[in-house]
Amino acid sequence: MLRVEGLSHAFKNGGETTLVLQNINFHVRKGEMIALLGSSGSGKSTLLNLMAGLMKPTEGEIYIADQNIVKMNENKLAEFRRKHIGFIFQAYELLPNLTVRENIEMPLVFQSTRPSVRKQKALQLLEQVGIPDKAELFPSQLSGGQQQRVSIARSLITEPSVIFADEPTGNLDTKTEEEILAILKELNQTMNTTFIIVTHEREVAQQTQKIITLRDGQLQTTQPAVDPQAEAEEVQA
Amino acid sequence: MRISDLTRLSWDQVRRRKVVTMLCAAGLSIGCAAIILAMSIGESTQQIVESELNSFLKMDEITVMPNSGAMPGQDNPDQVNEEANKRGLLTDQKLEVMRNMKHVTAVVPYQTFDHLEMTTADSKEGYVEVVATDLTRIKDFGETFAQGKADSVDINSVVLSYGATMGLMDEETRNKLYEAMERSGYDRSSQEQYRNMMVIPTAMYQTQIQLVKYDENGKQLTSTPLQVIGVLKKPKGRSDISIAQDSKIYISIETAEQLRKELVPSSVENSTPTYNSVKVKVDAEQNVKQVEEQLQRLTVSTQSNLLQKEQLEEQFAVFKAIAIGAGVFILIIASISIIVAMTMSTYQRRRQIGIMKVLGANLSQIRNMFIVEAALLGFLGGLLGIMFSYWIVWGINALILSLNSGESDISIFIPYTAIPVGLAFAIMTGIISGIYPAVSASRTDALTAIKRD
Repeated sequence: MLRVEGLSHAFKNGGETTLVLQNINFHVRKGEMIALLGSSGSGKSTLLNLMAGLMKPTEGEIYIADQNIVKMNENKLAEFRRKHIGFIFQAYELLPNLTVRENIEMPLVFQSTRPSVRKQKALQLLEQVGIPDKAELFPSQLSGGQQQRVSIARSLITEPSVIFADEPTGNLDTKTEEEILAILKELNQTMNTTFIIVTHEREVAQQTQKIITLRDGQLQTTQPAVDPQAEAEEVQA
Repeated sequence: MRISDLTRLSWDQVRRRKVVTMLCAAGLSIGCAAIILAMSIGESTQQIVESELNSFLKMDEITVMPNSGAMPGQDNPDQVNEEANKRGLLTDQKLEVMRNMKHVTAVVPYQTFDHLEMTTADSKEGYVEVVATDLTRIKDFGETFAQGKADSVDINSVVLSYGATMGLMDEETRNKLYEAMERSGYDRSSQEQYRNMMVIPTAMYQTQIQLVKYDENGKQLTSTPLQVIGVLKKPKGRSDISIAQDSKIYISIETAEQLRKELVPSSVENSTPTYNSVKVKVDAEQNVKQVEEQLQRLTVSTQSNLLQKEQLEEQFAVFKAIAIGAGVFILIIASISIIVAMTMSTYQRRRQIGIMKVLGANLSQIRNMFIVEAALLGFLGGLLGIMFSYWIVWGINALILSLNSGESDISIFIPYTAIPVGLAFAIMTGIISGIYPAVSASRTDALTAIKRD
């Protein structure tokens, strides 16, 4: 589903070149939920932006749904993102002047989908993320957790091949974090959507099926995640 | 992206960003109002001048004059070719040919006398231009009688223009008026008093008048009394003073012959009467040119007012073009404010644009959103401009009225064509001004825009 091959990226700062990512190779299967784990400055956000087509790598290829996004121009990328990629941001990034329903519908607006179809899909997703009664409210009238649920619903409305979540629980308290992660896991299982979650928290990463650890721009390990509860039971035994 | 979504999202921004909307709409409304006003003043002035012109120079009339060198009473007939002179005269025979021409509805000959002194039975005096014509045809040329009529005319009957009834006064009053003016050094108030006296009408219908001429020895020659059988209506759309200056007394050709004997005894009697000019009335303005060409075959000179009208239209076209140019210039200036305001707005909305791009909006979708927004601003500015122009025109008309003591035939109107033209210009300016901010918005780097410090 997603393949990263020989990916390297460097930033030029004046005359100095800083290598942010170095020869990254991995793949993600359809329906998998993986975590990109790393500390601040490890290159995980750059990797996410490259995979989402928001940046061009210095070297290497990225395949999503068998299409090399590195070779695409800006308009083609916009079209590709519209169809195949969903985003969940740490700060939700909802449009404040639109209602919750209108925010969720937004990606379909760019696809010229009929309003009645959009509305039906948006209401259905609101039901799935557990806030069916908030459709006509504005983002400012919602709590952080509720806004993130709206953001999740928005990312799912186009039924994308992959959803990139950038620190989706970074702005939330522990209880809400658990709720959001539970929603993501449930959606991953019920809708068979591929999730790539960028996080610096090991507890969050351990909720996924696979953890890709980055350190200083290099792929450190790719390992199956261990259920924290199972791990605790193992230690006790 | 659906047009309804595009419009809804753009309208939402127009509604929300009140300061930007206000700035842009204000600039555009001034430009739009300038264009509407330019067109309105141009169109109104043209109509006012044309109606003024029509009251002096009728568009369906042709003035026919003897061909060059054939004017009656020419002092040196030796200098002109006598044969050509005879051919070019306006005779009764030619008048008959003119009357039978297609599209000709009336033909009236004129012989002009000098300006003579007119005295009334109660010793009032005034100066009039004496015109000999067919009195029964006066009506055919759009003149209407305020009093009396001239259906059947006896010799010694006269018709007065309204101007001929104005400013008549006895010698003593006139002299006093002149003295007062001299004493005051022709100051404003004495001139005002003179003007007021000159426009006072006298009841002249069914009174008797006499015409007076002085010969080269200073001897006074007085005509037999003439009966006023009619007074023409006061012309509309002209000032009283200009009407008073146009004082005419119309007499028949026969009366003219008699007057010539009485007042110019030295003149030679002419067996075949000829005329100074002939007025030919045509059934419609569009046939004037054709009739004029036919008339010229009679070896006469013709003069219609078509040329003046064409010249006037050309001059007004230039005036309107200059006025619209000024309006467009104001719109261009206004467009700078839109570019600045919208560019600022684009910068403030970078994050929103970035999110939209991440969600899949392409370059043209972002660009179109801004262009539709600019067009909506143009539309709003246009509507405001229309409102402003109505208020300004209302103000101008109120000012004209107050300057004319509540009575004025002159008023500015907004032609219907000016409204869509003004609105179209405002929308077009909005769109053109929105192109740069729209392109710059579409080029916003999504990643930079959504990055949080």
